Amino acid sequence: MRKKTPIVILLTCLIVTAILWAADTYIVRVKTSSLRSSPKFYASTVLAIKAGDRLEKVASEGDWIQVKNAAGATGWVHKSALEPKKFNLLAAPKGLQSQATADEVALASKGFNKQVEDSYRSKNKGISFVWVDKMLLIKIPLNQAVAFLKEGKLGDFGGAK
Amino acid sequence: MKARELIVIAVVLALLVLIGSGCSVIQKGTEAVSKVASSPVTKAAVALRNSFADITEEEEYYIGRSVAALILSKYDVYQNEPLTQYVNKVGSSVVAYSDRPETFAGYHFLVLNANEVNALAAPGGFIFITKGLLAKCRDEEMLASVLAHEVGHVASKHGLKAIKKSRLVDAFKMIGSDVAARYTPAELSQLTEVFEGALGDIAEQLIEKGYDRKLEYEADELSVKFATATGYNPSGLTRFLDALAKAEPAKKEGVKGWFQTHPQPQDRLDKVKAEIEDLKTLPEESKSRAQRFKQATSGLK
Repeated sequence: MRKKTPIVILLTCLIVTAILWAADTYIVRVKTSSLRSSPKFYASTVLAIKAGDRLEKVASEGDWIQVKNAAGATGWVHKSALEPKKFNLLAAPKGLQSQATADEVALASKGFNKQVEDSYRSKNKGISFVWVDKMLLIKIPLNQAVAFLKEGKLGDFGGAK
Repeated sequence: MKARELIVIAVVLALLVLIGSGCSVIQKGTEAVSKVASSPVTKAAVALRNSFADITEEEEYYIGRSVAALILSKYDVYQNEPLTQYVNKVGSSVVAYSDRPETFAGYHFLVLNANEVNALAAPGGFIFITKGLLAKCRDEEMLASVLAHEVGHVASKHGLKAIKKSRLVDAFKMIGSDVAARYTPAELSQLTEVFEGALGDIAEQLIEKGYDRKLEYEADELSVKFATATGYNPSGLTRFLDALAKAEPAKKEGVKGWFQTHPQPQDRLDKVKAEIEDLKTLPEESKSRAQRFKQATSGLK
């Protein structure tokens, strides 16, 4: 019995380590975003990131996670841009099959995608996407967004509570 | 159990975890897509999806695009570039301090050329506000509170909740039934039907019926939260609801979304006032905000 104890501890440690390792891995789930120099939306950009990029957690502060990429670059990103890499221990007996995340499926170009939209549009020619595409082009550059907040004494530049 | 057996189990389990988290990762965007699509891992993952919460960011974006197109088939766009820019600046400020600042393709705001008082949020962050609603706003706090309410609907995925569960289950089954990277014509036709059905579910709730009581209260609560976090005085929402509640009955006919919902404006007003009273400190209003609002909306009045 005494001999088994270290083995059980080793087993537990291995499992816990592996689960924690998996829990600290994230996949970018938005089309594009940025790693920022500090945990604020208007902090300077360190690096552009895109859907599917894999990042490792370094630290966290509120809803912001500090991550590093494969090349070792570190920066902050809001948690809403990331999908935690899940590991379902209960699914393990069923084999590896249950361990992919739903977002990986989307990244695999399946689901409601451009092919489905094109098919919908060919069936509904009266529905125009011209303004939808124009709408997507409306973007407020970072310097203008910061100037707007400063002028209005908003966010990190004024009255936020 | 012998020690050796335990070691073997430990190693196998650890490998299982490491492989499970490593093999399905797509490191270079869509380049690795076909490999994942054709793996049995992907098929099993699809089988795990069964509710609106399992709709991915990218799928939400494609649903949102088409819902936005449906909204734009019913309304003309109010083409006023400086006003559009201003509304997007106010909206983006609120988004930055919301619970969900990032969506697949970001948030975008457009003004609709309609005199009715209405605002609509399609999944993924396509947010519309009518010229009539803008005219009801007397300052930036009121506009920010209305936009924060709509951002709340997006952040909590209220639009996606409108999709009938049976439709989603059908879609997920179809998506998971084939490992090919693209759909066959028959599959595509079936999936397009489900997609159309889902759009119909959302459009019915968004454009025709309005959200139910619980979701409106939730969006009001989020409006107070997001507006305050941004530095706006959340009383913008109470003043806006108050203005609508006091509108003469004849004028209410032109008021869609914001009056269509089950909760009466007075009920919403009471709840929002109580939520604001619970806040310890409130951001102050500012002259510069009042000034720029007046300037941006001067052509409307």
